[in-house]
Amino acid sequence: MPSLSNVAIKLIPASQFTIDELTAIYNQTRVDYLVPMPMNATRLAEYVQAYDIDLHHSLVASEDGELRGVAMLGVRAERTWVTRLGVIPSTRRGGVGEALTRSLLEQSQILGIDFTMLEVIKNNAPAHELFRKLGFYEVGELLILRRSPSKQQVEPVIADARRLERYEALDLVGYNRGTQPWTNQSESMSHAEDISGLYLTLSDGSRGWLVYRRQKFTLTHFIYKTEEGNPAEMAYAFLSHLHHQYPRLDTQIENIQVNDPHLAGFYKMGYVESFRRIEMWRGIPPETLIARK
Amino acid sequence: MTKILIVEDVPDNVELARKILISRGYEVVHAANAETGYQLAMETRPDLILLDLGLPDYDGLTLAGQLREVSAFENLPIIAFTAWPVETAKHMAESYGCNGFIGKPIVRVQDFIAQIDSFLQKK
Repeated sequence: MPSLSNVAIKLIPASQFTIDELTAIYNQTRVDYLVPMPMNATRLAEYVQAYDIDLHHSLVASEDGELRGVAMLGVRAERTWVTRLGVIPSTRRGGVGEALTRSLLEQSQILGIDFTMLEVIKNNAPAHELFRKLGFYEVGELLILRRSPSKQQVEPVIADARRLERYEALDLVGYNRGTQPWTNQSESMSHAEDISGLYLTLSDGSRGWLVYRRQKFTLTHFIYKTEEGNPAEMAYAFLSHLHHQYPRLDTQIENIQVNDPHLAGFYKMGYVESFRRIEMWRGIPPETLIARK
Repeated sequence: MTKILIVEDVPDNVELARKILISRGYEVVHAANAETGYQLAMETRPDLILLDLGLPDYDGLTLAGQLREVSAFENLPIIAFTAWPVETAKHMAESYGCNGFIGKPIVRVQDFIAQIDSFLQKK
């Protein structure tokens, strides 16, 4: 059982609640967020599965018999991830968020893991300060980008284009990509359905690949790499093929590094910035996560 | 009677908007998620949609994009209803074919009504 960081706040393993109950408490904590990101039970269950959320080590906060907040812990080899942390608006500034976060860090220690990751929405100053206080440090700024469906047909850049089946796409994604944000790690992709990809070779020899998830209404989960050539031009090229193929799908991609050299290609294709997150770490990333030269 | 479809998942936001709009003489239809919002738009043919951007099944911008694909809704006022910062809300609403946005929470009832009336007059 988690230890109590505050005697008035009772921390209960999230595994003692149903997904419907967790969804309800999570949505209540987000109701006044600038970017509320509510979920239904189906989406939360997918989230738990896709991002390796360990509900036994995730927590719900209760005070005087009332549910006050929730925080979830993703667990993968040698790393944990703090996510879905939220406190009911009327209860904020009372130490619930800190108690939840401290206890998640204790849970990580119990699991023998010293390295923890999280993202905080940029300009969410109270949360950002709390994480700094608890030993997290900033490692980068991340973009959430979107592109609306377009009635204008996108002309694909002339290239030798090959569709990648799921197993090929996951093979590329799994290779030596270093310390990616949790949502973009190879495990996140391998847990997701409907993953496929594109491999392009341009006439000047530039080449690269894009792996993505195609859902009913949206394209999501982009992972890409320019193996040879200009990254911005390669990005525009593979996006031109993708959006030519799926003109009616909305596109939402998250946690793209702000200094990613591919970004100019995204903007040229009509992507717009939705909001930003700050990526924070606590501890030193394990050797197995660092890209090999 | 002019019909407004509110697509919004937070009950307090729905009730306030509903009360204000009904007091103004509008008919109000409500959906608490995007899928129901799409169905009700098709079935009830509203004169304006007030659309929350954060919905529990899929988000409001995706729904706006879907609705714009329907020829009958090409000119329908779709108004984003959001707490996003003004510049972001404006930018995202335009990108997804919304006619504009109204900020949340509703602070001044008269301003809210004036905005709704204005979007309907432009129709």
